[in-house]
Amino acid sequence: MRPVELSRSEHRELKIRADRVEADAARQHLIPIVVSEFRKAATQYPIVFAKHPDTGRFAPYVLSGLDVQENLFWTGTGLDVAYVPLNVRRQPFYVGSENVLCIDLDHAAVDGAGTRTLVNADGSDSAYLKEILAVLGELVTGRTATEQFIAAVLSLDLLAPIVLDIVLDDGTPLQVQGLYGLDEERFRQLATAEVTRLWQAGQLDLIYAVMVASGQIFNLIRLKNQRIALSRAWQASAS
Amino acid sequence: MERPVRSICIVGGGTAGWLTAAIIAARHGSGGLRLTLVESETIGIIGVGEGTWPTMRSTLKKVGISETDFFRECNASFKHGAKFARWVTGEPADFYYHPLMLPEGFPSLDLAPYWMRYSEGQLQAPSFSNAVCFQEAVCELGLAPKLITTPEYAGVANYAYHLDAGRFAGFIRDHCVKQLGVQHIVDDVTGVIRSDTGDIDSVQTRKSGRLAADLFVDASGFRSLLLGETMGVPFVDRGDVLFIDRALAVQVPHDDEQSDIVPYTVSTAQKHGWIWDIGLQSRRGVGYVYSSNHTTADAAFDELRAYVGDQHRDLKPREIKIACGHRQTFWKGNCVAVGLAGGFLEPLEASALVLIELSAELISTMLPATRETMDIVARRYNSTTQYRWDRIIDFLKLHYILSRRTDSRFWIDNRDPAGIPHSLKEQMELWRYRAPGDQDFTSNCEMFPAASYQYVLFGMGFRTDLGHQSLDRDLGGAQRAFAQNETLKTRWTRTLPKNRALIDRIKELGLQKI
Repeated sequence: MRPVELSRSEHRELKIRADRVEADAARQHLIPIVVSEFRKAATQYPIVFAKHPDTGRFAPYVLSGLDVQENLFWTGTGLDVAYVPLNVRRQPFYVGSENVLCIDLDHAAVDGAGTRTLVNADGSDSAYLKEILAVLGELVTGRTATEQFIAAVLSLDLLAPIVLDIVLDDGTPLQVQGLYGLDEERFRQLATAEVTRLWQAGQLDLIYAVMVASGQIFNLIRLKNQRIALSRAWQASAS
Repeated sequence: MERPVRSICIVGGGTAGWLTAAIIAARHGSGGLRLTLVESETIGIIGVGEGTWPTMRSTLKKVGISETDFFRECNASFKHGAKFARWVTGEPADFYYHPLMLPEGFPSLDLAPYWMRYSEGQLQAPSFSNAVCFQEAVCELGLAPKLITTPEYAGVANYAYHLDAGRFAGFIRDHCVKQLGVQHIVDDVTGVIRSDTGDIDSVQTRKSGRLAADLFVDASGFRSLLLGETMGVPFVDRGDVLFIDRALAVQVPHDDEQSDIVPYTVSTAQKHGWIWDIGLQSRRGVGYVYSSNHTTADAAFDELRAYVGDQHRDLKPREIKIACGHRQTFWKGNCVAVGLAGGFLEPLEASALVLIELSAELISTMLPATRETMDIVARRYNSTTQYRWDRIIDFLKLHYILSRRTDSRFWIDNRDPAGIPHSLKEQMELWRYRAPGDQDFTSNCEMFPAASYQYVLFGMGFRTDLGHQSLDRDLGGAQRAFAQNETLKTRWTRTLPKNRALIDRIKELGLQKI
C-alpha cells in the first residue's frame, strides 16, 4: 500500500490498466458492500455479516469463497460474475479520512501500460474518473445507511453466528468460521410494530434480499466442486 | 397453616449484599418475590476481593449485565490466573503460574506423568504450566485473553477479572434497582426483632421503621449482625491452619495512562506472609497479608514499602484485622449469611467473591417455598457450604506446606503437621504415587479441580514417584497434546492484543453480544 491524496495536476500522467482493477479480489473471500448493493449482490453471492478485525464492528459482505483468501469467481485474469461489488470496481482509488479522494500507487492497476487517464487535455475530469467518483460517491453515501441497517438488526437480535458445514464432492469437510447471518426464526417472531418500523426505514427489503441471497451458497459449492474436478483432471493428466 | 416465603430482606450493601440481590432477583424477581436491601449510610464497605474467578462471567451474564458496561464502570481488567513468586525457595527467579485453563487434553488425558518423566534430570525443561497450557506464555507478554471480535463473556483463553470492589458494588446496585426491581433502603439498622420461634421477624431502622421479611440475608460484613450477633452462631477460628490475620492495603497509581496492566494476579511471598498485586485500569491494588503472631505491623510495613518502591513511600496503607475462619453454620432459622458475615480467608486464591456467587446461587436455586421447608434447605445449605470452606482451606494450606522457605518461623510453622487438615494429609499421601485426578474430587460442590492441584503441586516442585508405571498407553496422545500446546502458544502470543490495548478498545467501541 502506498496511499496518497489524488492530485489532478501531480497525477495527470498516471495510467490505469482496466484489466488489473480486480486483481486484489483474487484473494478475497469476503468483500464489503453497502446496502444499496444488496439487491444486485443477492443475484450472485450470499450476503453475510462479519466483524472488522480491528474494531469488532459488524459490516455486510458478499461471500465469494469457501476458504480464507479464496475467490471462486476469479478466473485467473478477472472476476467471472454478473455483479462486481463497488469496493472492487473503485480500485485503485478510495476515500480517505475527511472524504479525501486517494489512490494506492502500489496497486497493480497503476501501470504506465494502462490506457485510462484521469484528466482530459483541457484539465477536466476524464469520463473514467467521473465513473470512479460516482462509485466512491455511492460508497460514501451508503456508509451511513449501512451502519443504520446493522444497528437495526443488532438491536432486534437478528444476527446469529452461522457455521457453514459443507462436505465437498471429494469428501473434504469445510468449515468457515466468523460469519453471521440473519436469524430467520427470530425475524418471524418480531412484533408487528417492529416489522413496520423496518418497512418504514426501508430496511425490510434489505432483510429479504439477505434471505434470498442465502441460497447462493449452492452456487459457491458448485464452483468449488468444479475447481476440485478441474484440479483432479489436471493432476491425472500430469501423472 | 403454611407460611409461604414471599419476601427477602438483605442487610448490607457491599459486594456481598448487592451480588446476592442481583442473583436472586434475576431468577425470582418476576415470580412475585419481594426483595429489599437495606444498607447503612454511615458504615463503609470493606471492599475485599478485587480478584474474581471465571464464574463471574456467567454470573454477570445471567443477571443481565453487559460486559462492555462492566469494563466502563468498574475499573476492571482481565485476569488469566495467578503468578506465585518466591513461594518455593524465596529466590528472585522462583515463580510458577496457576492459570485458569485446564492442561491440554485434561481430564481425558493426564499430561502430568509425561511431563514429569520428560523433565526428569533436564535442566532446561519447561515448567509444568508452560508445558501443558498456553496461558503462561501469554501472561509473560502481558496479553489479554481475547480479541475485540470475541463476543461478550466469550474468551480465547479462560479468564476472570480484577475489579474495583467499591465501584463494582455501586454498579451492581444500579442494575438491581433500575433493572431488577430490588427495593433499596438507605438507613441504619438499629435493632433486630425476633419472633417467638426464634426467627428474625424484622429489623428496626432509624428512619424507615421496621422491615419485616420471610428470609433475611446477613451481608453485614465482619460484624455478622444477624447470624452472629442476633442468632448467636459462633465463629470458628481456623487460625490454627492459616496464620494470616492482618492486611496492609495500599492503592498504587500507574506510572501513566499507557502503563501496561498485568493480566494476572501476582502473589509474592514475603518473610511473614505474602503481597498481592492486582492491576486495574487506573491503579494497582497492593497489600501485604501477614501473621501478627510472627511479625509486627512496623516490620510488615517496611516489607510492603520495599515492595512498592521508593517513589510510593508516602502511600498510607489501610490496616485491616482479619479473622481467619467462618461461622459454625451459615443458615440458621430464617437467616443466612453471605460474604464476610459468613467468614473470611486470606485472598490467596480469590475465594471471597466466588463464595458470594456460589452462596447466592445456592440460596436462589434452593429457595424454600415455605417456612416449613426452610430447615431442610438450611441443613443442605450448611453441609454444602461447610464442604466448600473446608476445600478452600485445604487448597490454601497446600501452598504453604509445599514451600521450602526457612527464613522465618512463619514458613517453618506452616509445615508443622499439627496445622495440616487431615483431608489434605490423606490427599498428599495418595499423590506421592500418582498425580491428582478427578477421582480425588468426587463431590458435586468441589471448589478446585484436580488441575488446580496439579498446577500448584508441580509448580512448586512436588514430585510424584511414578515407580514402574507404564506411560506407553497414552504416549501418542500426550505427544500430540504437548505439540498442540506449542501451536496454541505460537498462535496466541502472535495474535492477542496487550491487556490495556484491548480494555481501551472495549471502552471505546464495545464488545458485540454475539
